[in-house]
Amino acid sequence: MQPDRNSNVFSLLRTARVHARIGAALHSVPSNCGRGRPRSENEDKVAALRQAVAQLENTWLGAPPAYLSLGLPDLHEHLPGPGLPCGALHEVIAAMHADTPAATGFTLAVMACALRARRGPAMLVVSRQAADFGTPYGHGLRALSLDAGRLLLVEARSGKDALWALEEILRSDAGAAVVAGVVETDLDLTMSRRLNLATAAAGTPLLMLRPPAATGISAATTRWRIAAAPARRDRFGAIAGTRWQVALERCRNGRAGQWELEWDHVAHRFGVAEVVADRASAAGPERPNLRRAV
Amino acid sequence: MLVASGTGGARLVALNAAAWRCGLAVGDLLSNARSKVLDLQVRDADPAADSDALRRLALWCLRYTPVVAPWETGEASGLFLDITGCAHLFGGEDGLLADLATRLRRFGLNPRPAVADTAGAAWAVARFTSPTQWGRWPKAGGGSDEMSVTETTSAPLRPCGAPPQLSLGRDIHIIPPDQQQHTLRDLPLAALRLDASTQAVLCRLGFRRIGELMRQPRAPLAARFGASLLLRLDQALGREAELLSPLEPPPSYRTHAVFAEAISLQAHVVEATTRLLRRLMPDLARDGVGIRILRLLLFRLDGEVQALQLGLAAPSRDVAHVARLIAMRLERLPMGLAADFGFEAAALHVTAAERIVQRQASLGIADEAGEAAGLAPLIDRLEHRLGAGAVRRLQPQQSHIPERAVVARAAAEAPAADWRIEAPFGMRPPLLLAPPEKTDDVLASVPEGPPRRFRWRGVLHEVAHAEGPERIAPEWWRPGPDATERDYYVVEDTAGRRFWLFRAGHYDATPTPPWFVHGVFP
Repeated sequence: MQPDRNSNVFSLLRTARVHARIGAALHSVPSNCGRGRPRSENEDKVAALRQAVAQLENTWLGAPPAYLSLGLPDLHEHLPGPGLPCGALHEVIAAMHADTPAATGFTLAVMACALRARRGPAMLVVSRQAADFGTPYGHGLRALSLDAGRLLLVEARSGKDALWALEEILRSDAGAAVVAGVVETDLDLTMSRRLNLATAAAGTPLLMLRPPAATGISAATTRWRIAAAPARRDRFGAIAGTRWQVALERCRNGRAGQWELEWDHVAHRFGVAEVVADRASAAGPERPNLRRAV
Repeated sequence: MLVASGTGGARLVALNAAAWRCGLAVGDLLSNARSKVLDLQVRDADPAADSDALRRLALWCLRYTPVVAPWETGEASGLFLDITGCAHLFGGEDGLLADLATRLRRFGLNPRPAVADTAGAAWAVARFTSPTQWGRWPKAGGGSDEMSVTETTSAPLRPCGAPPQLSLGRDIHIIPPDQQQHTLRDLPLAALRLDASTQAVLCRLGFRRIGELMRQPRAPLAARFGASLLLRLDQALGREAELLSPLEPPPSYRTHAVFAEAISLQAHVVEATTRLLRRLMPDLARDGVGIRILRLLLFRLDGEVQALQLGLAAPSRDVAHVARLIAMRLERLPMGLAADFGFEAAALHVTAAERIVQRQASLGIADEAGEAAGLAPLIDRLEHRLGAGAVRRLQPQQSHIPERAVVARAAAEAPAADWRIEAPFGMRPPLLLAPPEKTDDVLASVPEGPPRRFRWRGVLHEVAHAEGPERIAPEWWRPGPDATERDYYVVEDTAGRRFWLFRAGHYDATPTPPWFVHGVFP
């Protein structure tokens, strides 16, 4: 596929279709999405418009809209649909270099969610320079409920090769459930657009783990910034689950947000951590309420 | 008796035993020979037929070993067989040689096989061992050369004190390992595979045997005769490696095309290859096999041949897929496609074909692995760009040692493993450092307590919480310096980051046991 040729066709097509769709959406207001909360007419119209635009953006190549549920209704309210949009590029960035394991763990947990919801193998592309904190370990992946038998590791010598491999996987008919890349090179706008188009055509969620110094604009649908948090403890004081400080920094057709998420090692699902009173006071005044939407 | 034109008229190039008994020798003038013996039967020599017969014989010898190299120098032709690791299949070296000699005799040939550590020594011994047979050799009645030299490059196990030379019946010689110096000492210089002029000069200087040459200082020899003499000597003695050019068995499927106009563009080469592949596919489909290893030969106008070899993860009959791999391969040639004058012809050889197992397509029922048919071609493409073994799967292994409990195998060879097995007792990190990284400044309670503080990668971590120890004992059947008991701890530092640390050994041992970080938790 050549993006330059397509973008011309696309822009023409898009303007025509956007007008048609938005007009249709304004006239035919669909029923409530079932969030439980009653909505005003205006809100419904805005939601319908949002959905129409989201569909145009994601489905112009014919992929059906699908969402990868994280099982967190609180978090889904910030996202354009009931979960992470499939067929879109999602960036995961560690808050600091030392938080890279935490960000990797979050990526792997999202991959585990995708593996349970979708068919096919999970592909993890790691460029050699980015594997600073070790290589994926089968028994440890099980604790995140990731089926290591369905995981394929792709080792690339450089970031450039890794980006090539990601696009190659997305454009192939291997039917991957989820694709993730650990790349240390900067992702420029052109490359992220290419990947976004490839993932939209495949309908496969693409997660990109990027270093904390990652700058520059990218065409990613969501950007998550992950920092480590002290683990969840059981009533005996033993480590019972992984916790992350998760910030949704940007989200197309959604809102930013900040949570403290945890991974239940027994039930194998995400949860929003209860902010314990003594922890909140220990955290100090700079983060008064972790569930505050930004 | 065979003749060919030489200096001064027709000369003898080969003769049978009867002629040899009459006192004739290779190299004699035909007119002299006619005057010696009245009723000579003379035929013209046919070198092309000889080399053809040698090649056929070499192909036949592939039954003994995959590496057979024909050695073709006029009358001294023969075959080199590398029987390293093959001899035991025929009951040892003597068994192999006896079998080879018996079969060749049944063909009406007169073989003289020999086994030695080096090709040069085996060649020498096969021709020049028995003193009565020095000089010119009689030939059997056929037109082809039939000497068979067998060599082995590595020393097979053999009981000590074996006799230095084991003779198995007529003309079969086995030189024990590292005995070639002793054996070669008494052989004439002709046994060194030297050219005629060097041999003549050495003869004039008074050298008769190889032993005399071995005793001489090397520098003057090199100055007088160049490197080739010493090279042959070293190759015979095993000091220098000798590269044999082995015969390649003909491919099972092949096709070729000659172009009306020379092509030089990469796209054209790919297009030509695609057409060749299409021509090949009906044959493959008829036999139910797919391409596993493919070789593309491009013949340049100036006589150069470019060869590209291609391996596939799974046997395939998909023309588009193989053509794409070839295109990727051409792009990644280190010097590019050197098509200076253009290619006038191309040939496609399938050197390895494998059966394609037909599988029933699942009728909407999700299979366990859930892998699409497009995965194997994807692995092919990824491995061609990223290198062999770049795509891997994790497989569990029976071991308590963490780094041995999981192994990453190339996805092309390893099937998807079943991970529904019993999990290890303790917590395991999703990211494992290989090898474990040493930590400094560890403050831990002695003798068996968790660490309170440690420095890793230059950063000092204060431990807020620790769980453990989980003691993992070494595998006693694998002794080694790292076979110590390890006490693993899961620790969380004050910033909320979790590590998997272990102490190798105990505090009662001297020196103080080191601490390592073996993994990180999310």
